[in-house]
Amino acid sequence: MKKVIVACGGAVATSTVAANAIEELAKKNDIDINICQCRISEIQSNLDGAALIVPTSRVKRDYGVPLIPGTAFISGVGTDQLEEKILDVLRK
Amino acid sequence: MVWEELEENLIFPSVKAKTSDEVLEILGGALIKKGYVKNSYIQALKEREVEFPTGLDINGIGIAIPHTSAEHVNNTATCIGILKNPVLFYEMGTDNPVQVRIVFMLAVTDPHAHIDQLKQIILIIQDRNILHSLLGSNNPKEIIQTIKRKEQVLVVTQERED
Repeated sequence: MKKVIVACGGAVATSTVAANAIEELAKKNDIDINICQCRISEIQSNLDGAALIVPTSRVKRDYGVPLIPGTAFISGVGTDQLEEKILDVLRK
Repeated sequence: MVWEELEENLIFPSVKAKTSDEVLEILGGALIKKGYVKNSYIQALKEREVEFPTGLDINGIGIAIPHTSAEHVNNTATCIGILKNPVLFYEMGTDNPVQVRIVFMLAVTDPHAHIDQLKQIILIIQDRNILHSLLGSNNPKEIIQTIKRKEQVLVVTQERED
């Protein structure tokens, strides 16, 4: 079970759209994941055991965990590449 | 569905603004006037836009979806502004500059409604044809029709999938 942190400014809007997309992606590819949805400011306190962070807002810090911006899930531009990148990390 | 609630007097086909703050003031002001949001809404939008920008570059068409937390909102609403001239916003997630032409401002009370509202908007903004017809629209009625046509197509497609 891989833990994926999905975060945005308020933890309700854009991160939910990204979280749904990642859940579907993992299901399609038979990867077991556990999504932790939170605010950007709460990433640090949820880091324990995380395999990947997908923020839909800007993140300046390095948390020592792979981080892939998820804005493409909102814009629809570059979704395929984004999904590939996420799968690369989740398959490791 | 979400777009049933679209109101003509919350749709502005030709917003004249030079800065993103002005855009937030004009559209946010309309929401305040109609009672959908509290007076604190505009300031909250501005602060949030600085910390968490909401601009998106959809293959060269700049969009922004400013929103803020429910404490500044009385009732759910969507305010749409087509900007007469492009206005500088910053991109969600990257902070790259984006010249924005279309703004979807969200007023939300219920986080679940928020998601539906956002999903509807995402479907609209991912459709290049729709964006082009929005940019060419001259009046609120036309904008509402364009969006509702898209929604009907979506409903039909969903029913077929079911």
